[in-house]
Amino acid sequence: MPSRRQLAVAAGYVAAAAVYIAIGVAYTDFLFSYFVGLAYLLLVAWLVPAGVRRLF
Amino acid sequence: MARPGRRAEAVLSWAAHDLEPYAIQRHSRLKIAFVPLLIGSYAPDLMSKWFVYGIHVGGLDLKASDPVQFHRGWPGVGFTHSLLFGVVIALLIWRVFGSKTWAISFLIGQWAHAITDTGDTVGTMLFFPWTVHVHIGAWAYAGQTGRLTDAAAYFSGLGGVWDAVWIVYGIFSWRVLTRSYFEQHVYSADGFWASANRLFPMAALLVLYRTAFFYGTSRWIAWTLWAHVVHHYRYDISWGGPHWVTAAHSPPITWPQLAGMAGIVAAIVAAAYAYRLAGRRRGLTATRSET
Repeated sequence: MPSRRQLAVAAGYVAAAAVYIAIGVAYTDFLFSYFVGLAYLLLVAWLVPAGVRRLF
Repeated sequence: MARPGRRAEAVLSWAAHDLEPYAIQRHSRLKIAFVPLLIGSYAPDLMSKWFVYGIHVGGLDLKASDPVQFHRGWPGVGFTHSLLFGVVIALLIWRVFGSKTWAISFLIGQWAHAITDTGDTVGTMLFFPWTVHVHIGAWAYAGQTGRLTDAAAYFSGLGGVWDAVWIVYGIFSWRVLTRSYFEQHVYSADGFWASANRLFPMAALLVLYRTAFFYGTSRWIAWTLWAHVVHHYRYDISWGGPHWVTAAHSPPITWPQLAGMAGIVAAIVAAAYAYRLAGRRRGLTATRSET
């Protein structure tokens, strides 16, 4: 079974996916490029959390 | 070249090509490098799909006049979906970068893509330069209808089901996405990650590793919602469906063609077995001469 920390990480990715899917359904162009997906995920799963950790 | 009816600019391949590398990474007994494996999995469409749907560059609209012929045929770039193309590019990678692991990883990814695409009604010229299309016709090929109709058709038929199988399999294999798996099996297998780690922290590399899974799974859900909740396209998971779309088809494979394919596969397997046997004998001879 996954640990609590692994579940928390997975929950973060699920939340990021929910936003990505919502944007993608509204604007399908968003879904067509791997690099857009990569940029989005780097932003929400690395840069934003790193920025928040630095602030607090 | 024909002018497309609408503006289109991006590259597209469906979710199986995003997700297969994780399964291969997990189950391969060979030493695999994930980055070339993923590049190999994307490579055939990376070099062709943009021109199938059309692209808008600097005021110019570029699109293949016969998208099916261009994408999967010869003349065209259908050879990018052949086994031989993977071998040639893998040999080039080996020669230029000196990495056997990168070459083999690219080859496995590209072969996975070429074989997966035999699932639709057009199929691939797997044994190029022999130009017969290997196809099992499980889902409709609709690339020629434009990217949105293509997406709607794919996510209404067995193609979408095939992708769902990979997603479910990926979720059951969740360990392959963990940090510890990445550090023990992926990072250590390929010098690329250590080089990248000089510029980016481990957290960023982990995101990079997980992106294809995230991208494939999220897109599958988004396209399914778009096709069936927003637009109400009809599901048709019958063989070769959905039949509401005008699918492109390759001619049926004849028995002599099937026999020829079986002969080629048998020759490849025999050659691989002979190579392995010769390697073992060389190893035995070397051990005897040392003792």
